Amino acid sequence: MVKVELKGVTKRFGDVVAAGDVTLQIEDGEFFTFLGPSGCGKTTTMRMIAGLEYPDEGGIFFDGEDVTNLPSFRRNTGMVFQNYALWPHMKVFENVAYGLRVRKVEQAELKKRVDEALELVHLDGLGGRFPSQLSGGQQQRVALARVMVINPSVLLLDEPLSNLDAKLRVEMREEIKEIQRELGITTIYVTHDQEEAMAVSDRVAIQNHGVIRQVGTPSEIYSFPREVFIASFIGRGAILEGVAGVSGGVPRVDLGGFTVEGVDSASAVGDGDRVACVMRPESFSIGAPGEPSNRLDGVVEWSSFIGPYREVKLNVGGTTLLVDVPPERETPVGGSLTVYIPVRRTIVLPWVEVK
Amino acid sequence: MDLKKTIGTLKRELDAMTAIQTFIAYAFLLVFLIAPLVLMVGQAFVYQGGASFRWFTDLLSSPEYVSFTSRGGRLFEVRRGVMYLWGHDYGILLNSLIVAFFVTVFCSIIGVVAAMLMGRYRFPGKSLFRVLLLIPLLATPFVNAYIVGKLFNPRGGLINYLLVDLLHVLPWRLDIDGLVGVILAQTLSYYPIIFLNVLASLNSIDPSVEEMAENLGARGLRLFRTVTFPLFLPGLAAGAVIVFIFSLEDLGAPIGFTGARANPLSRKLVSYQVYSSFAEALTGSFSPKIAALAVIILFIAVAGFLIIRRYVNLRTYAMLSKGGRWSPRLRTPSVKTQVAIILSLIFLVTLASMPQIGTVILATSNWAISGTLPTKATGQYLGTLVSDPDVTRAIVNSLLYSGAAVVITVLVGSSIAYVVARRDIPGRALLDILATIPVAVPGIALAVGYFLLFSSKMFRGSILDPLLDPALLMILAYSIRRLPFTTRAVSAGLAQVDKSLEESSMNLGANRPTTFFKIVLPLIIGHILGGAILSFVYSMSEVSTSVTLGALREDRVPITFFISQIVYGVAAVGSVSIGAALCVLLMAVQITAMAISNFILKQKVAFLGV
Repeated sequence: MVKVELKGVTKRFGDVVAAGDVTLQIEDGEFFTFLGPSGCGKTTTMRMIAGLEYPDEGGIFFDGEDVTNLPSFRRNTGMVFQNYALWPHMKVFENVAYGLRVRKVEQAELKKRVDEALELVHLDGLGGRFPSQLSGGQQQRVALARVMVINPSVLLLDEPLSNLDAKLRVEMREEIKEIQRELGITTIYVTHDQEEAMAVSDRVAIQNHGVIRQVGTPSEIYSFPREVFIASFIGRGAILEGVAGVSGGVPRVDLGGFTVEGVDSASAVGDGDRVACVMRPESFSIGAPGEPSNRLDGVVEWSSFIGPYREVKLNVGGTTLLVDVPPERETPVGGSLTVYIPVRRTIVLPWVEVK
Repeated sequence: MDLKKTIGTLKRELDAMTAIQTFIAYAFLLVFLIAPLVLMVGQAFVYQGGASFRWFTDLLSSPEYVSFTSRGGRLFEVRRGVMYLWGHDYGILLNSLIVAFFVTVFCSIIGVVAAMLMGRYRFPGKSLFRVLLLIPLLATPFVNAYIVGKLFNPRGGLINYLLVDLLHVLPWRLDIDGLVGVILAQTLSYYPIIFLNVLASLNSIDPSVEEMAENLGARGLRLFRTVTFPLFLPGLAAGAVIVFIFSLEDLGAPIGFTGARANPLSRKLVSYQVYSSFAEALTGSFSPKIAALAVIILFIAVAGFLIIRRYVNLRTYAMLSKGGRWSPRLRTPSVKTQVAIILSLIFLVTLASMPQIGTVILATSNWAISGTLPTKATGQYLGTLVSDPDVTRAIVNSLLYSGAAVVITVLVGSSIAYVVARRDIPGRALLDILATIPVAVPGIALAVGYFLLFSSKMFRGSILDPLLDPALLMILAYSIRRLPFTTRAVSAGLAQVDKSLEESSMNLGANRPTTFFKIVLPLIIGHILGGAILSFVYSMSEVSTSVTLGALREDRVPITFFISQIVYGVAAVGSVSIGAALCVLLMAVQITAMAISNFILKQKVAFLGV
């Protein structure tokens, strides 16, 4: 198990910056996720860690040792590819045994370890099949077993679940997390699915246009996004544009028809700045909470029953907010509704146009 | 910084294996493709020791080579009940271009019509026609033209007998000979190239694209003109340029026609002139004028090829479809139309496979001497394949040369395909072009270049000296000329092997050579064998270098040289049947190879294109 460090890693493909000055440290045994929209450079960053691409600038270190220019086959990373990359001409057993054969592990030991790996991913007994005879989920497990068998120092997972159906995806991600926790292996995960990232990661790095925008635990990133891009990429809810009036560190935001108090989570808002105000639908409540809150009176524009909650579009002073209310609460269109949101749940960020 | 980066990239990409592969590929192409051609071009520009355009101005100003008025010939001329179709002599150089132009136009028309019928309509017997339409691909060098000449002979030609004497549908007998004869023989042999290219393009058109156009109101000719035609045009262009080049360099038709009819007009072609000058070369001197002639057709062929290649790359539309149904768009026309389609295909297939059918008849009967129709079947000619020591030696020679050439082609071709597809090294694009360009290099130009280079002082007396022993040079010439087949087949295989299959191997600790032998090779072995088989077949029937370099030593002649001598009439009357017997052998080899490709390797026979 190793600690992985990236120092100023930059990679360009022509004019496109796939990785822009990426600097971060992934701890020994950590489950670390690169999250971002497609084309943001997360896969390229991972491929550089695997040694399948080489950075134009910067360095990559495993436990302090410089591996920047080491070819992939000398790095002992285990990468699961998005398309699994199972070798179609080899049976499952041979696919899994491959890394051990390359390492010249003797026959009895090899067989034992392959069987263990197949057991780990619940594929015992399927070693004699060809990959084409397996279901998508099973192929995924073979890909995982194939890298786990070599005891990699880092496990790299490149969108491993994107080819599975929704139900299997949830099942597999729990299984991957389980295996990772059991073995304590440093794991780097790449995905564009925020829910997946939140569910499995110890920490998440949000990447956009090659640049890391924020690193933090899932709850930090969800609750305190540092910029508008992150707030809009993760979670639901309206992002409203307004003007800040800062006094005593607490920004009051004029949103046109009404004002709210909020927290400046990025500590970047000054008096009179154009700001974005992020209010998550689930942060609203019908009754006043026992903490400093913003009270908003509005008219229901549209209401839809989702199941666990009722999603309401609420017009407050000419601005539309998305608000979740308890499912039993009737919210007829045109009726008036008063909701509260705690000040600490009202995030104020410097305004940036999200492209 | 940038330089450092470049060197860094180079160091990583150029591991030992890639370095060896790249070095071998470049060295091979340099010595056996580029150097001979460059030397030939160089000699063509030397006059009395100085650089000069003299040979070219000589050629272009001499009416023997370029003439804007006819120097003789007959076309649509009726005399004493015979309509003469010979063509006119506009000088050797213009003749070649005119012939190539008409062959390309006729092949395009036939190829497109056949492809549209096969690719868009449903009718009984279709799968049979699919096979029959490809019969002309079976190589019967020299003999095919001989047979066309024989069938259209006004005195006792079978076609004239049928149309005039038996059915009375024509008022005069046809005499197809000379340049028109060459055009007819070449058209019949080459139209499948365009047919296959266009059919492949048609099949790759997403049906919904045409359906969308119909949905918006385009039908019939308008649909064809605005959607279908533009989409298969790149395929047509690719096929057309190959046909043009093949026609320019073809020796089979001029020699075959000379054998059949002895009309000097069919010899007034560049390819023939270069060929015949090899006889003089035996005495030691080789006229730079001939080199200049070869340079001209080399230039036309290569330029045409590169321009079309660029155009096709630009115009190859990536199909943008996502999901959905994708079965070819086939219509079942009315019964009347179906009958019309079947009748026209029967006509085409019969006409186009006359040379192959004729070859078999010639080889198994007394047709060569009996007149209009054969009167007696005989196995004596096929028997000579094993009984006549000269014939047997030619067969053994061809098998040896082709076998050796295939080994070289496979090693070099797979290396090139792999380096081009997978490694990011400087000069990769050049390597790609060099491996494809032999398709466009006229074989006679290569033969001239080989002769000039390897009989020069530098190589005199070495194992490469063709005057000493041309065998090794023929092997090398075959391997260069058939290199594109193997390279393309292996490239197609590599395109199907996702890069991540190799990356995952390296990620698991295997270095590049291990990855190549354990992962890549097993996955593309079928394609390599497919390419090898194709290269073997086309080496067996190779004409241009075989009849030129092969002529230099009697005990080294390959099959095609032997056939050319027989058909040309060097050997005794009637022995043309032995040539036909050899062609039957070539066809048998080819059919076997195709069967192996299709049924054992499950490879579609990769065919010629840009």
